[in-house]
Amino acid sequence: MSTSVAEHGQGAGLSPEHGGHVLRVAGLQSEFRSRRGTVKAVRAVSLELEPGQRVGIVGESGSGKSAFALSVLGLLEPPGYVVGGEVILNGRNIAELDDRQMQTVRGKEISIVFQDPMSALNPVKTIGQQITETIRKHQPQLGKKGARAAAIELLRDVEVPAAGRRIDDYPHQYSGGMRQRVMIAIALANQPNVLIADEPTTALDVTTQAQVLTLLDRLVTERGTAVILITHNLGIVAQFCDVVYVMYAGRVVERAATADLFAHPVHPYTEALLRAVPRPDQLAQGPLPSIPGAPPNLAEVAPGCSFESRCPLGRGHKLCRTEVPVSTAAIGFGSGGATAECHFAKERVAEYLDGDATTA
Amino acid sequence: MLKLVLTRTAASLVAIFGASILAFVLLRVAPADPARLLAGPFATEEVVEAQRVALGLKDSLVSQYFRYIGDFFQGDWGFSFSVGRPVIDQIGSRLPASIELGLYAFIFALVGAVICALLATYRRRRAVDHTINGFALFGLGTPPFWLALIVLLVFFGILDILPGPEGRLSPRQEAPPEVTRMYTIDALLAGQLGTFFDAGKHLLLPALVLGFAPWAFFFRLLRASLLEVSGEQYLATARSKGIRRWTAFRRHALPNAFLPTLTAAGLIFAALLAGSVLVESVYQWPGLGALVRDGVIEQDYAVVQAFILIGAFAYVVVNLVVDILYGVIDPRTRTGSAVTK
Amino acid sequence: MSAAAQARTTWFERFAGSIRALMRVLRIIVRDPGLAFAVGLILLLGLIAVLGPVVWNKDPLEIDIGNILAPPSASSPMGTDDVGRDVFARFNQGARISLAVGAAVVVIAGTVGVLIGIAAGVFGRWVDAALMRMVDALLAFPALVLAMAVTVGLGIGLKTATVGIILPSIPFYARLMRSEVIQVRSAVYVEAAAALGAKRGRIIARHVFPNAMTSVPILAAANFGFAILTMAALGFVGLGAQVPTPEWGTMITEGQQYIVTGGWWVSLFPGIGVLLAVVAGSLLADRARDMVDPRRERDI
Repeated sequence: MSTSVAEHGQGAGLSPEHGGHVLRVAGLQSEFRSRRGTVKAVRAVSLELEPGQRVGIVGESGSGKSAFALSVLGLLEPPGYVVGGEVILNGRNIAELDDRQMQTVRGKEISIVFQDPMSALNPVKTIGQQITETIRKHQPQLGKKGARAAAIELLRDVEVPAAGRRIDDYPHQYSGGMRQRVMIAIALANQPNVLIADEPTTALDVTTQAQVLTLLDRLVTERGTAVILITHNLGIVAQFCDVVYVMYAGRVVERAATADLFAHPVHPYTEALLRAVPRPDQLAQGPLPSIPGAPPNLAEVAPGCSFESRCPLGRGHKLCRTEVPVSTAAIGFGSGGATAECHFAKERVAEYLDGDATTA
Repeated sequence: MLKLVLTRTAASLVAIFGASILAFVLLRVAPADPARLLAGPFATEEVVEAQRVALGLKDSLVSQYFRYIGDFFQGDWGFSFSVGRPVIDQIGSRLPASIELGLYAFIFALVGAVICALLATYRRRRAVDHTINGFALFGLGTPPFWLALIVLLVFFGILDILPGPEGRLSPRQEAPPEVTRMYTIDALLAGQLGTFFDAGKHLLLPALVLGFAPWAFFFRLLRASLLEVSGEQYLATARSKGIRRWTAFRRHALPNAFLPTLTAAGLIFAALLAGSVLVESVYQWPGLGALVRDGVIEQDYAVVQAFILIGAFAYVVVNLVVDILYGVIDPRTRTGSAVTK
Repeated sequence: MSAAAQARTTWFERFAGSIRALMRVLRIIVRDPGLAFAVGLILLLGLIAVLGPVVWNKDPLEIDIGNILAPPSASSPMGTDDVGRDVFARFNQGARISLAVGAAVVVIAGTVGVLIGIAAGVFGRWVDAALMRMVDALLAFPALVLAMAVTVGLGIGLKTATVGIILPSIPFYARLMRSEVIQVRSAVYVEAAAALGAKRGRIIARHVFPNAMTSVPILAAANFGFAILTMAALGFVGLGAQVPTPEWGTMITEGQQYIVTGGWWVSLFPGIGVLLAVVAGSLLADRARDMVDPRRERDI
């Protein structure tokens, strides 16, 4: 898998001095309430996205990635609630908007592609109806015919063959990959500035995955759309993203430019994730390393580092059990602006720098 | 599509055949003296003998069966000795009253169920949901004839705001000119508003009582279906397009939730049919159900037997129509894959 | 340790085990208000049916012309009917009849239906086809209409009415069991084909049994309510229990003509009896279903 990330997108890497964010999320918090207690799914997550930039969010299932995406869009349904933070999209805080105001934002300035194209399309409405719904909402001046023409054009753009005929088909007549193309068409119909792709290829088979990803790559490059790609697949991140956020237990535990992250994972969780990726050249060396233990129960967050019980570094350190690590800038390599939430971040960076120095 | 219609129809025909044998065995073969049963205990021996000849009781069972079925489909449903008229005439004259009542009960059930299901699910208020759910449980458990009596006691006996058990119209109110023989419709057609309101007042209690159990069925199905659909991702997709929550719900959740409840139409028809026997007589409603209960009380079983056969037949037909309709509406069964087209 | 001592331990352990299981069930019931309510209702009605006629030892059939349509009072808590019979005594007796009918329908229809379903599922082919066509024929009638056909044909009365309620109940058990057997059979088939042929039956039984242990009682609870409601309906129409039997539906009929003229208590109480019994059955089935199948988490 290639790690060449610098070729595409305007913003390769993190540049904190850059003020032109299309999306800036600050301290976003969401929780799910139930009779058994409150699960804090997203715990003060911040994120910056420049125009045309591609940000990846990786993490295990249950790490809060999808809840984060829904929270940004204001689509978290009860029992889920956004309880704090800002979502600045194109200069205004959309977390403060009411549902009516959000209607002009969703689908127009920001849109989303969901994981499972099988369930994300309404089975009893035609593909055409489902694409024109969003076009007619945000571009009513097009009229019925204009919207249909635009929908066919979109279908062509996402490489659905015989688009003019297949627009009147129902979702069950499309394959999984084709349906995901339709979802992408719906999401990009009104040229949004930001696209959130929540595991867009996870439900597809491997060859289709590659095709859909290539397609997405082309479409967002042409349109200059900024993308938040949520995935648990590090290969896709390496291929697609400029910057990676690693989420664990509702927190961003590390963020770095993609190349840096792969070369020098600072947070032990990131390191473990990277090690758990199967590599063909190492398959002969025994079973795939896995991360022992399970993510913490987010209903009762214990003091200290949430990764402590599974961490190979922190064993026995009292600090890890009593204090939540603060986000530490990992200064010293790469394009700067990288952070990690680990008590040992500084030592780790120093180690890497030493290592690089000795090999150099 | 055609294949669907044909297989469903064939299955229904088999079911009707089985049901007809069951009815034949129960009503013709099992009774010690079917002729006496049909003629009633007070009939003279000549009448019973005439009945025996008419039934052909000395023929083989097979030919008796075919005569039984043949008669049924030719509209020869026997002779009502207590009234002295052929059963088919009696049923024909009673049917419009039952249809009118059933229609209103159905509308109450349907509209009520949709509204209640939306109230229970859309805003996700636990208290509202629990209340309506509890009420639906009563809908399933309340004996309709008993409820009919209780509401009569309350609204006529105690409050005296609705008419008592006096049928479809007040005693001095003249029936509107016959067109559909449904009084509310005929009254409107003739422009007789007074008659319309009178008929409506008389319909209100029986229709509400008759619709209670179907409402409960329908509500429970629709609620479960809506809850399932409202968790579907395509609602989130619709919302992500910037569609209003209610619009997304109306466009994407309601039609999809309705589809599975269509299969309950047979059950609802059965509840209305059975309910008519139980509710009509309480209100002196001159319909089919009251006729059947009178038939039982007067031991005039020709009417009851005809009702049993018609009920089973209509039930199978309703289920068949619903089955086919379901196939027509759901695009997943309606169309094949475009690839194979 | 001697053999006797060992036997004692196992006996004791088994006893303790069943107590623990009982406690577990009790805990589940107490935690769920709906379930507790349903179980409480059924226990209450059972208590009335068993002890009612013993404690309140008035004769439910005794006519007292001097005391007709007496409103509820201390001497007759539910009043008297149009021939002066004590409604409370009749209500208690009616509980006995209704619960007995409900139990009989559940046991007989359940047994027959389960056996039909197992036979259809296990033997498949023409046995399946024949049995299922029979079941379809039963389903071709609306339930009450079939019950009416049975009572008209076989003669009116409590026993034939019970038969008339059993017949439309059978298909539900049969279909349930058949689908469960077929589900297991198709799953087991591949591995069982490789294993010893004789073991197949036992494998199916071992897989079907645990499922059936939960799904059949749930169906039975709903069926129990249906049976009581249908019996009352038959009684009301005049095809069920005959006068002077104090069956709840028949009692409602007896009070029908007095309800608006002031004798509301004759019909009111038996109706409440039916209502409570049916609601208890449906509620029990509902709650149990939600508990067994987490996918059916019906709460909002």
